[in-house]
Amino acid sequence: MKVIIASTMVPFIEGGATFFVEWLEKTLLQHGHTVETLLFPYYGHYPTIFDQMLALRLLDLHDTADRLITIRTPSYLLRHPNKVIWFIHHHRAAYDLWGTPYQDIPHTPAGLRYRDAIFESDELAFREARKIFTNSRTTGDRLRSFNNVESEVLYPPLFQPERYSCGEYGDSVLYVSRLTKHKRQDLAIRSMPFVRSGAKLIIAGAPDRPGGEQELYALARSLHVEDRVTILSSWISEEKKIELFRDCLAALYFPLDEDSYGYPSLEAHHSGKCVITTTDSGGTLELIADRENGFVTEPEPQAIAGAIDRLYQDRQLARRLGEGGRQKIESLGIRWDRVVERLLQ
Amino acid sequence: MKIAVVNTCVPFIRGGAEHLGSALNAKLREYGHESTLVRIPFQWRPSEKTIESLLACKLLDFTGVERLIALKFPVYHIPHPDKVVWLLHQFRQAYDLWGTPMQDIPDTAEGHRIRDVIIRSDNECLSAIRRIYTISPVVSERLRKFNQIESQVLYHPLLESNHLRFVETGDYFFFPSRITQGKRQHLAVEAMAHVRSGVRLVLAGEPETPGDGDLLARRIEQLGIGDRVTLSAGFITEREKAALFGSALGCIYTPYDEDSYGYVTLEAYHCRKPVITCTDSGGTSLLVKDNETGLVVPPDPKELAAAMDRLYANRSLAVDMGNAGHDRMLTLGITWDRVIECLTSPA
Repeated sequence: MKVIIASTMVPFIEGGATFFVEWLEKTLLQHGHTVETLLFPYYGHYPTIFDQMLALRLLDLHDTADRLITIRTPSYLLRHPNKVIWFIHHHRAAYDLWGTPYQDIPHTPAGLRYRDAIFESDELAFREARKIFTNSRTTGDRLRSFNNVESEVLYPPLFQPERYSCGEYGDSVLYVSRLTKHKRQDLAIRSMPFVRSGAKLIIAGAPDRPGGEQELYALARSLHVEDRVTILSSWISEEKKIELFRDCLAALYFPLDEDSYGYPSLEAHHSGKCVITTTDSGGTLELIADRENGFVTEPEPQAIAGAIDRLYQDRQLARRLGEGGRQKIESLGIRWDRVVERLLQ
Repeated sequence: MKIAVVNTCVPFIRGGAEHLGSALNAKLREYGHESTLVRIPFQWRPSEKTIESLLACKLLDFTGVERLIALKFPVYHIPHPDKVVWLLHQFRQAYDLWGTPMQDIPDTAEGHRIRDVIIRSDNECLSAIRRIYTISPVVSERLRKFNQIESQVLYHPLLESNHLRFVETGDYFFFPSRITQGKRQHLAVEAMAHVRSGVRLVLAGEPETPGDGDLLARRIEQLGIGDRVTLSAGFITEREKAALFGSALGCIYTPYDEDSYGYVTLEAYHCRKPVITCTDSGGTSLLVKDNETGLVVPPDPKELAAAMDRLYANRSLAVDMGNAGHDRMLTLGITWDRVIECLTSPA
């Protein structure tokens, strides 16, 4: 089948969505399809959002491919008779972040009309689509509540998960993610003073702003846990990352209210490791069930430390919950062949 | 510098223009720039779509980019404070192809309005851009004639040429190109009905539409020349192409009024092969000099046949011309150093 994958990007910024598109392209090619990937620059900033949306709308892909798969907002405005939307998020400042400090459209009559028009344009595209998939239940719920649109959850798998393997259940818990405030690596460090066992913490990820890692070092020193905390803040290779997962005791992942379960959770599970997450992490809760494939604790240092200690003291439990992770991925059907089958159906 | 190379694309079609876009992006990175290639799909049928695509470009936002390098219509209409144009071609249907069978825009009141909008938009946009390079004198000349805009020629090199080498002097002419009316593979095929020597013809390339490939295949059959003409309609790898070039007697490339000398001539001369082209082929005339680096003949199958026979009969002439073409390419200074310097120097 001739497939166009369309998405938007902010030039020179790589994010989850960019990888997502790349992986989908590779997978479709592996399945024998002909693929054309189109990435359009899109800056979600008021007041030029509309111009950019209109630009995409004016591009007609009719007669060029058998199917159009659109990923990041607002690429679904592209015109094609056989359009499937794999929806990741809205222009959130106009939707779920409206009324928060992230709202960038002014709360004026003109601003409200602007917001309405975004809703209307989105809904036009949603009506045109053959089918809408979302990357999580959270996103699907938002589509229903804001746009009254039904969708199907299609969980994004990890690329080539067979690269991951399970080694020892070592002494360290591992938190792999971009170093940024809402990922709450600080909460992991603040848990360490309450850890009674010999468990150590490894944090790996690049800071989203210069000096971001220094604040984490300072926090660890002020709590006198710096000898038990390792921060790998420079770029690490895929091989190194796979190695870290292979040998860790368990993974930590407790961002604040994320939309989706996040790749680190999948990476942990494909390495046979369970995940400690928190009740306010959002999308991780679609994957992680307490005592099934990890722990879901209150977002409190003591509670997190308790979970870490239990796993440290009972490696059989760590193994069993890690195995539970593998089963969970299977039971949720998080696999590429299923993705291909659903998107091209 | 953060650079966006912006090109147009027709989904699933890869030709010289796509190659140039990715080559430039790769070379900019090699020269230490942060570069990204953005491809905007372009539709021109029916003609109103041309205007929609033009408008889409005017609405796109490239805020985070320090320099925008636009290669074609309509992407040079994308607004940006530091824009450089390296023009492959304008929308030729509104300019030099207007009034020819390839005009494409209908000859109606509406068609005329569409053409007017394209020309007026181009005049307004291009006259505001400080630096415009084109890929050939033909493109610069058109820009002067139709839009009264001055530009400078910046020749495009091949991305990689190490794999292109002379192997031996064979018995066939090689015509590698996208199979489409404008490239006129049919002229070379018709010529094969007139050749008197044992010369063969090898055509390779992706048909623009399935119909283009079928038409050519049918004609070969009708003429009964299937034993001397090989048609590989479909994608061929760089390695296969290099092998076919390396052992050819020469290259035949007969497009109608091309804007540029085309990659085909560069590839041929990297392999030290003479090129047969037509008097109305346009940009090829920069590199192909009649009786020096190849043969330039009228777009007539009989004339083409005679040219092929002549080189078949005189192999050493073919070798000499191939060597001369190689030298001419170097003399013209078709290098990436120059391209990158021109496109990245302060506006």
